[in-house]
Amino acid sequence: MLEFTCLIPLFTGIIAMFLPVKFGRGILVVTAILHLQITVLAWMGKITPGLPQYFSASPEGLLVLLVASFIFLFISIYAVSYMSETEITSEPIYIGCTLFFLSSMSMVALADHLVVLWIAIEATTLMSAPLIFLHRSKSALEATWKYVLICSVGIALALLGCFFIVLSMDIGNVEVPITFSALGAVATQLDPIWLKAGFIFLVIGYGTKMGLAPMHTWLPDAHSEAPSPASALLSGALLNCAFLGVYRSHRLMYQAGLGDFSSNILIGLGLLSMLIAAIFIFNQTGYKRMLAYSSVENMGIIAFGVGIGGLATYGAMLHLIHHSLIKSSLFLSSGNILLGYGSKLISKTGNMARLFPKTFIAFFAGFAGISGFPPFGIFVSELLIIMGAFQQGRIISVSIFILALILIFAGASRLVMKMSFGAWNNEILIDEKMARVLPSYALLLTSIILCVWLPDSLYQTILSAIATIGGTVHG
Amino acid sequence: MSAISDALLALTLLSVLLSLASHRLLALVKIMAFQGIVVSLIPLFLEQHMTMGSILMLQVLILMKGFLIPGFIYVAVKKIKIRREIEPIIGYHASLFAGLFFILISAFIADRIYTAHSLPKEHVLLMITAITTLASGLFLLMSRHKAITQVIGYLMMENGIYLFGTALAKQTHTQYLVEFGVLLDLLVGIMIMGIVLNNINSSFDSVDTKLLGQLKD
Repeated sequence: MLEFTCLIPLFTGIIAMFLPVKFGRGILVVTAILHLQITVLAWMGKITPGLPQYFSASPEGLLVLLVASFIFLFISIYAVSYMSETEITSEPIYIGCTLFFLSSMSMVALADHLVVLWIAIEATTLMSAPLIFLHRSKSALEATWKYVLICSVGIALALLGCFFIVLSMDIGNVEVPITFSALGAVATQLDPIWLKAGFIFLVIGYGTKMGLAPMHTWLPDAHSEAPSPASALLSGALLNCAFLGVYRSHRLMYQAGLGDFSSNILIGLGLLSMLIAAIFIFNQTGYKRMLAYSSVENMGIIAFGVGIGGLATYGAMLHLIHHSLIKSSLFLSSGNILLGYGSKLISKTGNMARLFPKTFIAFFAGFAGISGFPPFGIFVSELLIIMGAFQQGRIISVSIFILALILIFAGASRLVMKMSFGAWNNEILIDEKMARVLPSYALLLTSIILCVWLPDSLYQTILSAIATIGGTVHG
Repeated sequence: MSAISDALLALTLLSVLLSLASHRLLALVKIMAFQGIVVSLIPLFLEQHMTMGSILMLQVLILMKGFLIPGFIYVAVKKIKIRREIEPIIGYHASLFAGLFFILISAFIADRIYTAHSLPKEHVLLMITAITTLASGLFLLMSRHKAITQVIGYLMMENGIYLFGTALAKQTHTQYLVEFGVLLDLLVGIMIMGIVLNNINSSFDSVDTKLLGQLKD
């Protein structure tokens, strides 16, 4: 029963809501460990889905599930220490909703049925809304309202896209279950016009959730207002889940022989996201907002890589893994910074290198990683995407891609330098603790290790995930 | 296509126009409850044969779309003590005119779709209603300041998409578990929006979304 990955967090979440906070924190970590174990078992092929008409263990789903489960474990360890330092009025709700959120994300990773995938992605919105709204400040309320409304409306359009795809089946006289795997096999018989219309609506809907520009407007608000462990989950795990919806729709288009159409849309949206992120990072005032725009950029890179195809698709999948690891580590470090300085504004921070040496190492290394410096994995993945784009002869696209990367690095490095070495004379509020630094280190270390040594099962899974859309590592 | 379902579709269109012209929030919620019930009844008169599953689903639909969801919004409106939408971004007469315009456009689109694919013409009115409801929902969402009207706009949009599903997809109506999941998401979504709405009201003393503009770059 692969569905245990959804059911266990669901049940423990309900239990945690009614238990005292002390037990709740324990349940959070125990569930994270259990979830990772089941995920690893699923990777070894020991367990299979119990409801094959709705769920399946697809390679790309398993990849997203493993990434989510892995970073969830470290985030939950961090969250236990973080919650003991901050005043949270309704901590049981926070713990419960975090677990429900994990449950809905696992459901996204496993869903095979078009509408079940939709239900699961909408559920991730609903289950993560209480996390953003936790501090109940005016700005948190505003962020939650924008998040729920923009994402719900966007995802409602994705449901319309699902209906269009069902219509394309009816017109093509195809009688198969409405699952991605079944539709993929008969994709060429589907009506191409309605399939295209369906794809556009699916990309608008799931792209809203993934943070692709111009539908990204909720993302900086939500990521900056959520408490840091929740931001790390949103950026590291949720965006991948939404990407899965886009990726599966693109694969369906590819199988139907309309790959060029969907590739060009993905490349366009990807480049637009990167450019918009570059513009907004440049004069950013808040460090969490800066990280949020960096997530917009990285989702753009992934969409671009998948759109290019071939070697770049492999790069995009690697980028997905490394972005999750590094970005969630950065958000966890930003939680320490927020606790220490008591402000989200870059102008009210400074001299981190001396005041918070441990957090500084994690934050600065994470920044180097996200900017694409070796030995972190993003160096490899971005290089592969650029090489793939050159192989396909997309010279103009790849020049815009490189330009955006340079602009973002230039803009962000100025801000990070100010935070790390700028002048700061006031007292710091809460000192850093090992329990809140080690998870960041562990995530960064994983990215370095995966860059040097990629386990064979991971390599094979990525290959089989991208094989259906013509992705390969041999150019 | 029976006369009853035609009448129901006409009632849906009427409720759309009414909601665009309405400025009292309680009346708006009642119109939405009415629209929810009518929209849930439509599939009953389209299908040739009724099964146990479809009748059960119909009851669940009416319960959720006609009573639970509007009831929840009704409670929220009562709690926040706001009765009227004053100063909409687009005025009521202009909104009504826009609604009529949507009907015209959707009639054109639906006709084009059905001619292009030589589909049976029997569902063309359903398609017109679906597109109009969807477009008017989006319009309501964008043209009003009060957060509660935006929720109602979202609900109307969902109704439109549901009608689309009824019009287009034969298969979706055999999978009740999936349909139930969609409904549950909608219900929980409206509940969460209601809770956030209440909190917005207590910290801003208003549900005007003009006040929600602090976070920007």
